[in-house]
Amino acid sequence: MTRAQLLARLGAGLGAGLGTALLLAGPTALAQRHPMPETAKVYIIWPADGQVVRGGFWVRMGLSEGGIAPAGVEKPMTGHHHLLIDVDLPDLNKPIPNDRNHLHFGLGQTEARLDLPPGRHTLQMLLGDENHVPHDPPLMSKRITVTVLPAPGG
Amino acid sequence: MAFTRRLLLLGAAALPATARSQGQPADHAHDAAAPAPAPAAPPAEAPRQRGSAPPDAYVYIGWPQDRQVIYGTRFKVWFGTRNFGVAPAGVTKANTGHHHLLVDVDLPDLNKPIPNDRNHLHFGLGQTETMLELPPGTHTLQLLMGDADHVPQDPPVMSKRITITVRPGRPQAAARETQ
Ligand SMILES: [Cu+2]
Ligand SMILES: [Cu+2]
Repeated sequence: MTRAQLLARLGAGLGAGLGTALLLAGPTALAQRHPMPETAKVYIIWPADGQVVRGGFWVRMGLSEGGIAPAGVEKPMTGHHHLLIDVDLPDLNKPIPNDRNHLHFGLGQTEARLDLPPGRHTLQMLLGDENHVPHDPPLMSKRITVTVLPAPGG
Repeated sequence: MAFTRRLLLLGAAALPATARSQGQPADHAHDAAAPAPAPAAPPAEAPRQRGSAPPDAYVYIGWPQDRQVIYGTRFKVWFGTRNFGVAPAGVTKANTGHHHLLVDVDLPDLNKPIPNDRNHLHFGLGQTETMLELPPGTHTLQLLMGDADHVPQDPPVMSKRITITVRPGRPQAAARETQ
């Protein structure tokens, strides 16, 4: 285990106050996670769990009791959406990875056009702060499954 | 630097309805918070420059639908946004803005900050949905994006104006839903 991972685990196990102290001790090792309103929720408006789609489709991302801000914008009670495709939750104490399984909507987008290969796929939303780090507690949607059929004529 | 920015953002949060001109002296005469701007008051300066928006940007009301009949006077409104981003008021970033819901009112002057009153609701935190409470009857709803200072983009990014009918009664599942 690297020092960063160790610190991250320590931070996860300790209270917010101690987390701050650790942050001061090693600002690059542990990202401080921001709160959101207790009633805030993220959820996938569309598609529904179990939905069958044909070809490309739009995902509509919902947020209740909170605001959207682009990446890099520090404002309390806001964040930006991430869509996790065919992947488990990442380490919640670190910036969310940025690759084809972890899509960032750093402009503050609330919809995404997906073109996935035919088959079954999982989708889950995870809100991240200005530094792409999940909030504390993390705001994530239910992980849903969609079935993609080949596009018509394709 | 970071501290200053935080202060500015907090200022925006404390005064969500106040037009803020970044890098310019505050202009209280044209404060968006004024509920009833003095009619026919000539602007003291040339109309301010409106931010741009990509031609394919659009917003729409995802729910309710046009001509929908809603049972229950409290219901959720979803703000749909495509090819455009959401940012809180006070944040200047290209191709982003925050939502305004126009209730039972025509479009305002697009060259000025959107008024802030019960007919012009500002979602300056960057909210993308709201719970609306309206008396029974027929109402119109329209979304209009505004920039950091609550001024619509050029071209304006706005939804179709829809008409709904609110009836007293039990809320529908979709109206109740808070999942
Ligand atoms: Cu991100
Ligand atoms: Cu506004």
